[in-house]
Amino acid sequence: MTRSIFFYATQSLIIGMVFFSCSKDDSEDLCPEGEFQSVINLHAPVTGGQGEPSSGNFTKFNFSSGQITESETQWDIGLRGTTIIVNGGESSGIVDEPTRNGNAAAYIENNTFWCVQNVNLNLFSQDSVSSLSIPTGSENGWYSYTGSPNHLILPIPGRILIFRTHDSQYVKVEILSYYFDIPTNPDSMLDQSRYYSFNYSYLPN
Amino acid sequence: MFIKRSFLLYLLFNLKFVFSQSPVVKAHDSIKTSELDEIIISATRTKRKLISLPLPASVISRKEINSINSVRLNSIIEEQTGLITVPDYGGVEGIQIQGLDSQYSLILIDGFPLIGRSAGTLDLSRVTVGNIKQIEIVKGPSSSLYGNEALAGTVNIITEEPKNGFNFYTRANYRIGAFNSNDLSSNLNFKNNKLGFNVFLNRFSNDGYDLDKNDNLNTVDPYKNYTLNTKLSYNFFENLKFNISTRFFHQDQRIKLDENIFGNNEIKEFNIHSRIEFKINKKWNNEFEFYITNYNVDEFLSDNIYNNLSSRDFDQKFTRPELRSTYKIDSKNYITAGFGIQMERLKRSDFYKNPKFNSSYFYTQYEYNPNKKASTIFGLRFDDHNEYSSQLSPKIASRTKINKNITIKGSIGYGFKTPDFRQLYFDFTNTTVGYTVLGYNAVAALIPQLESNGELLDILVPLSSFDSELNPESSIGYNFGIDLKLNTKIKINLNLFRNEIDNLIDTRVIARKINGQNVFSYYNVKEIYTQGIEFNSSYEIENINLSLGYQLLYAKDKGAEKAFKNGEVFTRLTPTTPLFVLSEKDYFGLFNRSRHVFNFKIFYTIPKWNLDTNFRVVYRSKFGLYDSNGNGYLDTYDEFVNGYSILDFAINKIFLDSFRIGLGLDNILDFKDSANLSNIAGRISYCSINYNF
Repeated sequence: MTRSIFFYATQSLIIGMVFFSCSKDDSEDLCPEGEFQSVINLHAPVTGGQGEPSSGNFTKFNFSSGQITESETQWDIGLRGTTIIVNGGESSGIVDEPTRNGNAAAYIENNTFWCVQNVNLNLFSQDSVSSLSIPTGSENGWYSYTGSPNHLILPIPGRILIFRTHDSQYVKVEILSYYFDIPTNPDSMLDQSRYYSFNYSYLPN
Repeated sequence: MFIKRSFLLYLLFNLKFVFSQSPVVKAHDSIKTSELDEIIISATRTKRKLISLPLPASVISRKEINSINSVRLNSIIEEQTGLITVPDYGGVEGIQIQGLDSQYSLILIDGFPLIGRSAGTLDLSRVTVGNIKQIEIVKGPSSSLYGNEALAGTVNIITEEPKNGFNFYTRANYRIGAFNSNDLSSNLNFKNNKLGFNVFLNRFSNDGYDLDKNDNLNTVDPYKNYTLNTKLSYNFFENLKFNISTRFFHQDQRIKLDENIFGNNEIKEFNIHSRIEFKINKKWNNEFEFYITNYNVDEFLSDNIYNNLSSRDFDQKFTRPELRSTYKIDSKNYITAGFGIQMERLKRSDFYKNPKFNSSYFYTQYEYNPNKKASTIFGLRFDDHNEYSSQLSPKIASRTKINKNITIKGSIGYGFKTPDFRQLYFDFTNTTVGYTVLGYNAVAALIPQLESNGELLDILVPLSSFDSELNPESSIGYNFGIDLKLNTKIKINLNLFRNEIDNLIDTRVIARKINGQNVFSYYNVKEIYTQGIEFNSSYEIENINLSLGYQLLYAKDKGAEKAFKNGEVFTRLTPTTPLFVLSEKDYFGLFNRSRHVFNFKIFYTIPKWNLDTNFRVVYRSKFGLYDSNGNGYLDTYDEFVNGYSILDFAINKIFLDSFRIGLGLDNILDFKDSANLSNIAGRISYCSINYNF
């Protein structure tokens, strides 16, 4: 059942246009833009939650192909609901985790997407029994939960996720939306959630 | 309609009663009490002229309550400059003073605290204004006199004392609008040289209302409540007086969650307050007061075949004996000193244990009035608590009259609020979502328990960090004011304030659960400040009184300010447009704070017709209730609740010297915002009949 949803998931890969800032009127801290990829509506379903233990397969993603993968080794990150794991480190103990057999790692930087230009190798951490490299919970990692009355999951603007992929490349990721088709003003009652849309771009080694 | 019928029956009953008495001419309180004579007790715990006080304080008179036909405390409070009533969990309404939340204000009845803050807010609509003599509001910290909770300010409700002679009044107020409500009060009073008593009974019912017709829920479910207040005073001798006051409150509310789930919420409250006053000589006066209060809530929900789905109870008891002495050294020097003990306990569902707080305290206050133009007050209080480090709360306030038209005053004071029972002993798991909230003192015992039950994935905050105690929240408040008399008709008052709050308590995730949810607990983290300007002015000509009030407010989190300053906060206009960094000026401040609030009132009296009328406007500028762009802060790019105005009108006329009939419209523009302001019910028209014997 989850598989059919996987294949249903709309996905597209867009090669971003290359822009360079040329106008001097732009604010000083504008960083040069470059090439990037966009992933739209990556479906990361979860069963349980709401008081029950969360379960179900993680949706595995491979940055170099820009695709969801079923491979047990060629994946970089796994997504299930709001939880993001990396293919590196050890099992954190949650149900239905895939086996980590790569050397992927992650950290979060607070910046604009284009102003993240280098990787700080000292900041990388891998998943472990005590914590995930992308922490879960509102405001701890990539999202904030608005609570009552709107009950929305919103990506925190400026939280850039930096990953080391399973094949030791570096990639920066900016999550744009958790709702299907990136609604401008999401409504938790109408819009389907657990559909990630994000931009990513490689960083120099 | 049941209520309509009962209202008529009530009127008939009372009219009958009226005609069985011989009519006596009763002077109505339309004679304006001069502001010069207004007396305030709460600011110094001695009777003092409001005008001579070096603190930002105001008094709401019986006359004002009457002229706007207010029946519950919230409706009169919300028209005062700088006091904002905000809805809180469970349909209750709290009060924001100088930009600080309702849990930081102390609500007193005759100088002793009301209790029953199940989620931090004390519901103002619980209090009838039918037997209130005046309401005293002191802004800024008053912990030097009142200790705990008197951080943002104090609201002291002074109830009527037995007055000389025999009299009786009854008052009926019937309101129609989104709901029907019915308020009936009767008061019987007697006093001679020795003995005085006062019996007051109030019944209030409200049919409830529903602002959002799309759901099955009422915004407010129907309820009715009764208040019985009795006072007995006896003067044994000139120098020995005794006084006992009891107040009983009972409220029943029918709850309906949907077609199949219903329930009941019952509140029972009593306050017993006795006072013995003995004068040793002309200089030395002593008062011993004993106060005990209990606030009890029982709530259950069941389905339509009477299966009990859930029940909650809350039972808080508070006892405080206090001995207070005032000594007048000479006409320039006064000393007040008091000591007391306080015992508090709470039994409640979802609690780790039945906690008890015991504390003892001592306070002293020295007033120095070198001449008529100047006065200075020094106050100091020491609180010794069984759960917390002891607190020393100083205050200094001073006033100087520069000339007959200008007076300046300034004060600095310390205020504190100890963590409440919930912040220490909560043991709550949300059954539908699955998260858990633990009180600070419950963590060490309950986390290992959750862990051994296999409910935890990991512990994020080590248990050792709960070894030290949770600190009281504290503040230092600064107030500086000028009173100006431009001429005999125009008066202006300006007050600048700043409150610096330390150790503000917030929640954080301390552990993760295997169900994907978190365990939360409380910790001291934030430093915030609120600052602003309060402006009040009045213009009086013959029978017209105009007043204008304004408050400018900046309420901000210092940590947030720093994050904005360091360029760590970003936003984007839509999910697909580029991110940009926000600057310090984009930070709006704390949630639910309006930058501007205005009020404008006209009171007009026509003595020859025995008529008075008034028109009032209250405006509150935009405010933010939540972060809509996900960066965790309220910034100028978030969605805001629009500013709004409430317009009210009332007209009152006295007939046959004893009857007073009032008609009015509250919220003339029929303003409603069901999503954000559940406490505003839309336009209400009312009539009220008052009979004085």
